[in-house]
Amino acid sequence: MGQRSGRQERSKKPEMSLRENVTAEEEDNKEEKKELKTKDQRLPLVFGVADLKNGAVGLYNMGQTCCLNSLLQVFLMNIHFTRILRRITVPPNASLKRRNVPYQMLLLLENMQSGKQKAVFPTDLARCLSVYRMDLFMQHDAAQLFLTLWNLVKRQIKDQDLVTKLSDLYTICVQEHLACQICSSETKRNSNMLTLPLPVLDSNSHKLKTLEDCLQCFFHPEELTGHNMCFCEYCEKKTPFLQSMKLVHLPQTLTIHLKRFCFERSADVHKLSHCLPFPQELDFNAVLTEQQSQAHDSEKAAWQYELFAVVAHSGSAHSGHYCAYIRSLTECKWYCFNDSTVCQVSWDDVKCTYGHSDLYWGQTAYLLIYMKKHPQ
Amino acid sequence: MAQWQEVQNLANTHLEQVHQLYAAAALPMAVRQCLAAWIEDQDWQQATEPLSSHARMLFHSLLALLDERLGSLGLGDEDFMLKHNLRKARRDLQAAFEECPESFANLVANLLQEERRILRLGQASGQGEAAPAPSTPLKSDREQEIQRRLAEFHTALQEFERVFRHLEDLQDAFDFCYKVHYLPGQDQTNEAEYKRQVQSLQAKLLNLDRQRREVVAQMQQLLGRSETLRDFLQQELKAWQERQQRSCLGAPVDTRLQQLEGWFTGLGEGLFQLLQLLRALGELQKKVTYERDPLQAETPLLETRLREQLTCLLQSAFVVEQQPSMPNTPKRPLVLRTASKFCTRARLLVRLHDRNHRMEATIHIDRDPPKTRGFRKFNILTSSSKTLLAGENSREGLICDFQYLTLKEQKISGSGKGNKGCNEGPLAVTEELHRITFTLAYAYCGLEMQLETSTLPFVIISNSNNQLSSAWASILWFNMLSPNPKDQQFFATPPPAPWPLLAEVLSWQFESVAERGLSREHLQMLAEKLLGSKPSPESVLTWSKFSKDGAAGFSFWAWLDGILGLLQEHLKKLWKDGLILGFVSRKQEKKLLKGKRTGTFLIRFSESVLGGVTFTWVEHPESGRPAFRAVVPYTSVELASLALPDIIRDYQLLAEENIPENPLLFLYPDTPRDKAFGPHYSQRQEGSLTEKKEYLKQRLIRVSSRQANEAWQTEEELVVATENLETLQLQPSRPGFVQPTSPGTVPVVAGSPGVQQPLGPGTLQPVSPGVPQVVAASPGTQHPRGPGTLQPGAWAPEAPPQVGPGGLEMLQAGTGVQEPQLVLQLIPKGQGTVQMGAGSLGTLQVLPGGTGMLQQGGAGDQRMQQVAAGAVEPQMLLQLIPEGQGMLQVGAGNLGTLQVVPGVLGTLQSAPGATGVLQQVGAGDQGLPQPGPGAAEPLPVADDQGLLPAGLEDLGPVLQGPGMQELLQCLEQDLDPGTGTLETLEAVELMPNMDSGLGQMDARLGGNAALLDPSDPFLPQPEDTALPAASSLFAVDTDFPPLHIDASDFQ
Repeated sequence: MGQRSGRQERSKKPEMSLRENVTAEEEDNKEEKKELKTKDQRLPLVFGVADLKNGAVGLYNMGQTCCLNSLLQVFLMNIHFTRILRRITVPPNASLKRRNVPYQMLLLLENMQSGKQKAVFPTDLARCLSVYRMDLFMQHDAAQLFLTLWNLVKRQIKDQDLVTKLSDLYTICVQEHLACQICSSETKRNSNMLTLPLPVLDSNSHKLKTLEDCLQCFFHPEELTGHNMCFCEYCEKKTPFLQSMKLVHLPQTLTIHLKRFCFERSADVHKLSHCLPFPQELDFNAVLTEQQSQAHDSEKAAWQYELFAVVAHSGSAHSGHYCAYIRSLTECKWYCFNDSTVCQVSWDDVKCTYGHSDLYWGQTAYLLIYMKKHPQ
Repeated sequence: MAQWQEVQNLANTHLEQVHQLYAAAALPMAVRQCLAAWIEDQDWQQATEPLSSHARMLFHSLLALLDERLGSLGLGDEDFMLKHNLRKARRDLQAAFEECPESFANLVANLLQEERRILRLGQASGQGEAAPAPSTPLKSDREQEIQRRLAEFHTALQEFERVFRHLEDLQDAFDFCYKVHYLPGQDQTNEAEYKRQVQSLQAKLLNLDRQRREVVAQMQQLLGRSETLRDFLQQELKAWQERQQRSCLGAPVDTRLQQLEGWFTGLGEGLFQLLQLLRALGELQKKVTYERDPLQAETPLLETRLREQLTCLLQSAFVVEQQPSMPNTPKRPLVLRTASKFCTRARLLVRLHDRNHRMEATIHIDRDPPKTRGFRKFNILTSSSKTLLAGENSREGLICDFQYLTLKEQKISGSGKGNKGCNEGPLAVTEELHRITFTLAYAYCGLEMQLETSTLPFVIISNSNNQLSSAWASILWFNMLSPNPKDQQFFATPPPAPWPLLAEVLSWQFESVAERGLSREHLQMLAEKLLGSKPSPESVLTWSKFSKDGAAGFSFWAWLDGILGLLQEHLKKLWKDGLILGFVSRKQEKKLLKGKRTGTFLIRFSESVLGGVTFTWVEHPESGRPAFRAVVPYTSVELASLALPDIIRDYQLLAEENIPENPLLFLYPDTPRDKAFGPHYSQRQEGSLTEKKEYLKQRLIRVSSRQANEAWQTEEELVVATENLETLQLQPSRPGFVQPTSPGTVPVVAGSPGVQQPLGPGTLQPVSPGVPQVVAASPGTQHPRGPGTLQPGAWAPEAPPQVGPGGLEMLQAGTGVQEPQLVLQLIPKGQGTVQMGAGSLGTLQVLPGGTGMLQQGGAGDQRMQQVAAGAVEPQMLLQLIPEGQGMLQVGAGNLGTLQVVPGVLGTLQSAPGATGVLQQVGAGDQGLPQPGPGAAEPLPVADDQGLLPAGLEDLGPVLQGPGMQELLQCLEQDLDPGTGTLETLEAVELMPNMDSGLGQMDARLGGNAALLDPSDPFLPQPEDTALPAASSLFAVDTDFPPLHIDASDFQ
């Protein structure tokens, strides 16, 4: 029902490309089961013609929206995400439409793909977001904005099946362990995360050298002693605990947040711009030890990732600019999205976002979005 | 005009693009050419604005100028065509653009812009082409990538500039409309009209805002791309710096900077252009701004980022192009000597500077000296600042070249007595590292900054060459291993070197000295020597083991550096051609030679002697195991007088055989000796017996002798054995020629008593030039011996060959200990011919001084025998080359006999069987002392001859009797072609260069004078010099027919 109405809604638009798009999508639904053929042949069937036409299209900066623009590009270039987005139920009336974030995102996507402009204005979406108190004329933290945006989308999708799919696409599952060092009693708790917030400094405030080191550090058990001690039910007093985190599940789209903004002396926020290389291909099994994961072998076997996008920040902690480097999943080419300008780049340009200790104002990767190599 | 001029100078490929551009353009090239200067001076961009009157004005000016030009053209043939073309062009232009001059302006603006683009491309590639050839064809992927990115960056920049101009236009349009139409305070008479105006104004503002955002976004993109490019350049620069470091160590790498300079300048230009555009944006923002103006928020950020980029680029672009080095040791940079000149040069790779701003570079030594106790402090004596010069030619770039720097150590004043103690730091002088820092106050386009760069650490030594060698070891170690090129404390805890790395660096040393590195086998041997085992990639060597410890009394490095020195001075070519096997262990050497033919030899470096080279050959006796023989290593002392290939060519082993032979037949593995070394032999000139020459050239050869009863030895005994081998040096001037001999000049050096005595005192010339030669060949050997043989007893008048008891003792003491090396040089003059006995090539007479030979001595003196039996076994080879008409005759088979008989007609006759006797038959027809006795005398030195050096004069009183000069004169006359007497015979003619011989002689003999002092008990005393009876030594045998000799016999 939702899909049908969605199509009707869209079919009001005159563009031919949209029609192609719709028919393609019907096929897409049928063909969905027959995945995992050769990638080139499969992609048009799965994602429809429109997505493949999708050259990289810029988004005009509407205020201080470089952060939003970068994230939108990351969302909209992700064909796994747009596949969900295209199936949403269209809100019944105009006012609801105006307030519906996923619907506005879909409209924007259509707008970007159908138009011949090199860039479009995300005006409607921006207006829609402002309803949810997202100020366009303010610098946002990309990690924060990502969470807000994602949650808005998730909340406003009515189809539960799609919600599950969306969650599956992004949710990381970890198991937190808290073990009393005195009586060895252990409490476990499963929790879900949208991003892996990785520290870029180790516990002694030394700069970590690589992304793998950051991951190691993140999953490294931490002893809670001194005034960090927790109350143990069995010992009935505050005891030292060992806190550890084990990885249970990794999603198709894995978002890693490099905590480059450092709150050192409470108020004073500064940016850590040192060099932190990240690989194009990331195998979690090679990074984490046995103890740091809690998953079946079949799950672990899928922990092979390749880099899909980098949201990079340049400037200081207080003011700066975001841009996104995205590897088109259809063309397998890297693009750099700087608001309205988009250009094709190479891996060398992406590497430039590793950071540089001497360059405080240069580009540094802030969010890394990895994509599973072999979708399940 | 300038632009069109430059366009015309483009390379063909780019010129082609220009032709295409104009082929399609409505503006004929003829017009462009004819009005080039004027066209370039106009602002066509501005004229392209819609409804601008400027465009019309320009268009009509152009037509008017064309008319003017047409009028001024003459009636010449060339002009005729041009006139026609221009007239046609004028008509066409007028027809096409009369109604729309704006589009004409647009056309011209675009053409000019396109020209600029082609020009930039052309110049960018032109720079590549202009760089020396090898870099162009072999461009790496990375180089192409950089080139491509640089071109892209400039294209994007141009596009950006276009967008920026568009923004300017939009803003001007908006500004104008705003000022004209927006009148909020005033009463609006026509409200609808006003509303429309404001709406249009609103739309214009929106458009402007959008354009501003576009500009900002593009700027962000450009900056992002330039970051990648800068990153690339810095990686390349780093690679260059590593190359430079390795090149300092002698690695054969390319350290040119042109390409990098081009790239850095290209990027720098772009970034500075961006900076100016950014400032222009700031200006625009000042004129028109509004709420949420993106320029207001973004430009300061962008500028900070851009400035940071520029700073980073410029900082890294300031490099030390030439590390400090002394001009006299260019292959060993980074070792400086106090009070010696050295030079160093820094370069700014971004070739942009403001001609109105003087940029001064200053240098400091050890600006932040390590806090080590006793770290020496130095002052730079010469001026420490220099203006950065842009060379006359812009290609030279921005350099500051410090060419005549000297260093002086700072004396710590006021610390008094304790001074010395506190000067002794924990580090040796050669491990103390110093650095020079360059600073440059850079200013360009409003950007001012302090640029800084440092040299690699260097070692400062004070004097000796010894220090130079170990200082160089430090430099090697540092540049090979230091992870931080600025670490001056490196030698506080020098890390060990992995063998593979060290091997490579050692190989470079050989490559830089003699153009051939070390082979795997060489390195294997060195590794085994150093590490005691086969090297593995993990093997490491400590600093002290490399440069300090050494079992043989010298360190590994000292040994290796000795070899490098030897190669540099004497063996470059041989090493380069791979003729020197070099590093072969004894064991390996035996293994290599065992299976080879007798006479196969190899050349290797001595392991026991610093800077020594030796050859080893194999002999297969008829039965038994193969024997290996080696000579005592030659050092640069020996090689200075005789090159190794010549030694090998003429090397002879004198053994019990009559004929000395060269045991070196095949260079390992099986190259015939002359084939291998032929190109390296020194020039031989065929002797022409007819040509009258002042002097014959001379040549040194080396031989070894072997005891008659000596058993073949195995290689274990070799070292000892070779030490007993006697070497005789002769100096024939021409290869196949026998050196002339004449009694007066036979400078038999008193090296070996056994030789001397049979020759008789007449040939014994302690003062002869032969002495210095012998001294040069084996100093320390000769001196004790020479005098020893001149014991009074030996000169007893009654029995000349007798050796007094004292002399005998002396000789016995000397035997077996040293290696007497004799030089006999006999140079007669004139047109004599030489006749030879039993044909040993080039050898006139052989005096193998075996015991038996000496017994045959003319006088048959028993004491003589005793002396000879003393195991010294002198073996001599005398080569005689007479010139002029004198005949030198030697009877066949008179071994051990040297007879030089300059007869009346210049005939030298040998007395058959007069073994061990030197005969001279001279026709003293001019009242000269009888040649017979005269020759038998020890050649005296005339003390009145200015010709002879002071050292010789000292000997005057020693040797009485007829003066040497007189004798010489006598002989000279005897051999004179005209008179049939001997021509000038000069005992002093020993040096290859006759003219300077005396001077050199002088110096040398001066040094020996003490030894030859009359008071020396071992020197012949006046009373001893009484002549032996002529009859006992010389048989006048004029009946003996002169033998004929053929020049070819000497080959």
